[in-house]
Amino acid sequence: MRFKLERTVTGELLKKFCVAIAATTMVLTMTSCGQDENNNAEFKPALSFETECQLKVAGSYSNFESLESEFERFYEYYPNVNLNYVCLDDYDNTIASALISDEAPDIYVTASWMLDEDRMAPVLEHAEVLSNPDLNINLDCIRKGARWSLDNGDVIMLPIFTRSYGMLVNMDIFEKNELEVPENYSELIDVCEKLEAAGYEAPIMGANGTTVAGMYYALAFPFFCDDVIKNPDSVAALNSMDKSAGEIMRPTLERLGDFVDSGHLNPNLCGEEIADDYDAVIMRFFEGDVPMMLGSGDMVSGTLKRESKSEAFIANPFKYQFYVVPFGDEGGYFLDAVNLFFSVNKNSANLDMTNEFIRFLMREKELGNMAAIKRLITPTNDFSVDEVYSSLEGFPDERAFSYQETGLNDAVNKEFRAAAYKVANGIMTVDEAVNAYGSLWDE
Amino acid sequence: MKKTLVIVIDLVIMGLILFFIIQYANTKMRESNESVIEAFEKMTVSAEQIITNYLEDEQHLCDIWSNYINRSAEAGTPMTAEEAISFIRKAKISPIIYGHLILLDESSKSGISTHPSLSNPDDYSVSYRKVQLFDSLDEISKKDGVVNLTRAYTNPQNGIQSIAFMNIVNILDENTGELKEALLMRVEPVSALEDKLVFLNGEYESVEISLINKDGDYLVHGKSMKNSNFFEYYKSYNKVNIDDYNRMTSQLTSESGTMRMSNSKGEECVISYTPLKSMDTWFLLAYIPAWELANNTVVDWLLLGMVTIGLLSLLVFNYLVLMLYNRKLAEAAQMATQANEAKSHFLSTMSHDIRTPMNAILGLNEMVLRDSHEEEIVAYSESIRTAGKTLLGIINDILDFSKIEAGKMDIINVDYSFISMLNDLVNMVQGKAEDKGLAFNLDVDRNIPTILHGDEIRIKQIIINILSNAVKYTKKGSITFKAYFAKETADSIRLIISVTDTGIGIKPEDMDRLFTAFERIDENKNRNIEGTGLGMSIAQSFLNMMGSHIEVESKYGEGSTFSFELVQRVKDWMPIGDYEERFKRSVLERVRYRESFCAPNARLLVVDDSTVNLSVFKSLLKRTRVQIDAATSGDEGISLFKKNHYDVIFLDHMMPDKDGIETLKEMKGLTDTLNDNTPIVCLTANAISGMREMYINAGFDDYVTKPIDPERLEMLLLHYLPKEKLVAISEGDDADDSTIPDFICKIEDIDVNAGLIHCGSNEAYIDTLMNYLDSAETNADEIEKYWQARDLKNTAIKIHALKSTSRVIGAEKLGDFAAKLEKASEAGDLNTLESQIEQLLADYRTLAGALSPLKETKDDYDDNSLPLISEQDMKAAYASLAECCESFDYDSLAIIIESFEKYSFPENEKSRVKALKKAIDNFDYDLIPQILTGGQDYEV
Repeated sequence: MRFKLERTVTGELLKKFCVAIAATTMVLTMTSCGQDENNNAEFKPALSFETECQLKVAGSYSNFESLESEFERFYEYYPNVNLNYVCLDDYDNTIASALISDEAPDIYVTASWMLDEDRMAPVLEHAEVLSNPDLNINLDCIRKGARWSLDNGDVIMLPIFTRSYGMLVNMDIFEKNELEVPENYSELIDVCEKLEAAGYEAPIMGANGTTVAGMYYALAFPFFCDDVIKNPDSVAALNSMDKSAGEIMRPTLERLGDFVDSGHLNPNLCGEEIADDYDAVIMRFFEGDVPMMLGSGDMVSGTLKRESKSEAFIANPFKYQFYVVPFGDEGGYFLDAVNLFFSVNKNSANLDMTNEFIRFLMREKELGNMAAIKRLITPTNDFSVDEVYSSLEGFPDERAFSYQETGLNDAVNKEFRAAAYKVANGIMTVDEAVNAYGSLWDE
Repeated sequence: MKKTLVIVIDLVIMGLILFFIIQYANTKMRESNESVIEAFEKMTVSAEQIITNYLEDEQHLCDIWSNYINRSAEAGTPMTAEEAISFIRKAKISPIIYGHLILLDESSKSGISTHPSLSNPDDYSVSYRKVQLFDSLDEISKKDGVVNLTRAYTNPQNGIQSIAFMNIVNILDENTGELKEALLMRVEPVSALEDKLVFLNGEYESVEISLINKDGDYLVHGKSMKNSNFFEYYKSYNKVNIDDYNRMTSQLTSESGTMRMSNSKGEECVISYTPLKSMDTWFLLAYIPAWELANNTVVDWLLLGMVTIGLLSLLVFNYLVLMLYNRKLAEAAQMATQANEAKSHFLSTMSHDIRTPMNAILGLNEMVLRDSHEEEIVAYSESIRTAGKTLLGIINDILDFSKIEAGKMDIINVDYSFISMLNDLVNMVQGKAEDKGLAFNLDVDRNIPTILHGDEIRIKQIIINILSNAVKYTKKGSITFKAYFAKETADSIRLIISVTDTGIGIKPEDMDRLFTAFERIDENKNRNIEGTGLGMSIAQSFLNMMGSHIEVESKYGEGSTFSFELVQRVKDWMPIGDYEERFKRSVLERVRYRESFCAPNARLLVVDDSTVNLSVFKSLLKRTRVQIDAATSGDEGISLFKKNHYDVIFLDHMMPDKDGIETLKEMKGLTDTLNDNTPIVCLTANAISGMREMYINAGFDDYVTKPIDPERLEMLLLHYLPKEKLVAISEGDDADDSTIPDFICKIEDIDVNAGLIHCGSNEAYIDTLMNYLDSAETNADEIEKYWQARDLKNTAIKIHALKSTSRVIGAEKLGDFAAKLEKASEAGDLNTLESQIEQLLADYRTLAGALSPLKETKDDYDDNSLPLISEQDMKAAYASLAECCESFDYDSLAIIIESFEKYSFPENEKSRVKALKKAIDNFDYDLIPQILTGGQDYEV
């Protein structure tokens, strides 16, 4: 079968995804309640215990310990299966060749952006339709914001990890100062003032940059997305870089400007003390004097291994959790983004066992285990595995959405990041940024 | 040894055996494993050679290509990039091998491939721009034979994990016409290299070969090796400190060896490592689970299990046997305990039972000695006294020994006069020594303090034992007693006592047996010498208890010296002075004492439930003319105690209802009596050692054991009686004018001769019979009363009294009958008592009936032979009778009226006394006051 992906442009494709997601959300939501039993049920092998074969998973992670731990768990059911993970150099360019080579992987990593890239069409062409009922793969365990399917309902990519954008909260500081983690914008302002009064010079920090892991993205982009979702008519203009479309950014940029002007967020200080949006931001947070550290889910995933590398944290460990930034009047917005998908090579020499492994993996327990090891967000609704993400448990649906639901393309994303950075750092006023829409991003 | 201890020791031995086996098996297993690991290391070296050969071969092929290209350049006909690739296409044989020519001057690290991209068949260009592979191009050697190898990476053309052999070639730059350097790569799938290692799986099923570089990155990746970097993998699953980690990485990348680590499942595995020869950049790791190398353990565990089962079986078997023997031992021990209890019971009853008849024997024998004028009889009687005293000594020794054995002997320290102790010792021994014609020498340090603190009784016993032995075993010569001292501390001295004799001496080989109980040295030679063989053993035991011991120096045939030292606290440092002088004086005094004393105005009270014992007591003191009031119970004694003044009071210990100690306490509790300062002496057959202390502690002033030693009794009275009441002895009042009535001789159940022997004289016998008769009805009633109340203790006591009194008067048959029922009472044998006690009482009453004419005879006695009662005493007696009559106290009335028998009355009172006696006998309480007030004519 040929996918429509080959023939569609990005915007159309995304729209179709949105429709598909919206259509399936209702059904899945209604049925999800009844799925708990399935999700938690013990895995029942469908193939012979003695089956012998080798399966290869290809990806771009140099290390994939969480997946390797799943290999070990899978061996309990199939001890004679040999699963192997291979990291391909220059993955985006080599995966296509690898899939048609003599040593083609059985499972390979995919990403949402591949849907937009024509050059990746051959890669997706090799993907098996995993929603085929005959495969008996439990897709219902996936959270609505992490579900992806083609417009025809076929599912070819299964989310393994998701990420979101928010802040790490030093719970000990809040407890010590008898403060509750803020739940809306006014509370955020109030908490920042109290923390400043308590001697915390910078109550909220982050990497002062234009990346998605930078602080402005975590702080304001979900707020902006909510505006876009509420004004779907603006999407087309935004995506086509229509200069007038910049106006939709105004409320967000103004709030960001006000927040910076209030002194609660100091871009210069952040720039001086935090050199990058990953390692440096984590190590700075572990110094223990930053109540709230803005960043992405990737930042959270890096915390576990760095706890033992921070002398300050070893000396004075503290409890911390991930929260969505309460930038809206009613609260924060949970922007759900899939970090990594798995697709199955439909030409796999051991397709049955490959599907068996995917069936094994697509359960709350296994996905939760993997997410916990990687310290990313599980694509299921069960956030109980990792306490860091426990605040997401029961997050209101009306303020949770996926990026794809906005219908925005990557260029809009970049324009917003540039605008936010420039306004916050005083390079542009809000008006200038709004008016410069379409030419804000500097490569 | 306790059973648990035996089991514990068995288990410990078992544990040690198993420990040894485990250690041995482990050692063997370790040796075996070491050899297995050695073999594994050899396999690793073989694998390394195979890989090295392969890599060198492949590099060689790459070098052939580069040499050909470079030779062309050197020959002046350099190849262009296209020509070079074209040459390689032709030169290579295997389709899986790619040739890449990368232009080094290109920043994009791109070039031409022998194969097109799989995803685009028309595209032969290859780019390494996004593959981090050429960080150290400078290190690539241009020399032939040097392996220039990349890490495992993804071949951009086909997406397959590959390795590449490299060399630098010179090619022609078509644009400039100049020569330029390019990188020639012979690219091969990693799987090709892995295929070379498949053969190893035949030898080791689970072996996995990996190749890593210095940083731990894999070239070839074993299945069990998680992570993309071996060192990261190691850190993830093995907790080591940084030093150990650094040592591990250093060893792994510099030498050959073997290490153990945990894999991702936490299982132990073995890694054998070695660098690839001729390359210092790649290192071979051979991984294998430890269990695959650890063989031979099954046999060892089987052996261990079997040995354990065997030892446990042995333990259980031994335990069962031990249990069996233990049961038998327990039974034997129980029997031994019962026997021991029987022995103790025997000894305690013997103490009483032997001493009671001994009292009669020695007491009455004393009467014989005093009253008999026939030399032959006196000689016999002396022999009886000697034999009796010896027998008492033996009994005392046995009792002491049994007490020591039972651990019940206590050392009781009191203040004592050293002089007094010496007196006692010398008095006891000197006579014996003199009797044997031995000189008894004293050598006493005159500076020994007067009052010491220690166990006087035991010390005396020790010295007496030694002295007695010296006398016994010395035929001629002397006995020398020495007493010295050395100052120990400010308030104590070390008393040094020694006894030297010129006796038979002891052989050196017999020395060890000297202190062994029941051992008698030279038994054959000394058979005629009395003794139990306990004396020295007891003495030694006492000294041991006091922290000392006896030292013996002896020369066989010449004599011995026994000595000991004792630390004694000093209470009075005043020196005793010249004891020898004092002794001489005391000897003279003692001679006078032997002549006894007379104290007709002195008055004693003696309380004993046995009228026979009372009779003996009175008889022994008859010649002293001391007035003796007798009471047969504690209450009766207390009543007399309240009414009369006594100079000394004697109380029996064992009495029914209220024993001697209870009576004593009640007496002491009374105030404002006539006897506030009267000494009270315990009179008892209970001669077990330690009893003296008990009685003194109970409040008695002194202690006299039965059988009563007449000399001791008189000495005691001399000590306690007021001097003014002692008068000179008058001669000629020892005639026995009494006759035995015929009817008594005709009573079948009485052996009069035996009675006379027991009582000593006709008068004493008649008195004893009267007492027996008077108390018969009361005793019979009491026995009946106690029996009906099933009070076995008092029943036994009363029957015991009946037994001894019956035997004393010669009623042996009744005495034996009573003895039988006494035992039944003590044993709680109700059946025997039920069936026979009525008969006993009937016999008792019959005998009393047969003796009743004696009362009439007694009334006819001439009271004029008795001392005339004083008017004062008579009035006091009448007043007491009136009081007792008012309170219906028959017992006291009987005692008072009985006491009248000891006196003669003025003529005008004789009829009143007779009338009173009759009224009291008839329990006529209305008549008695009338008689006393004179309002009644006396009808007698």
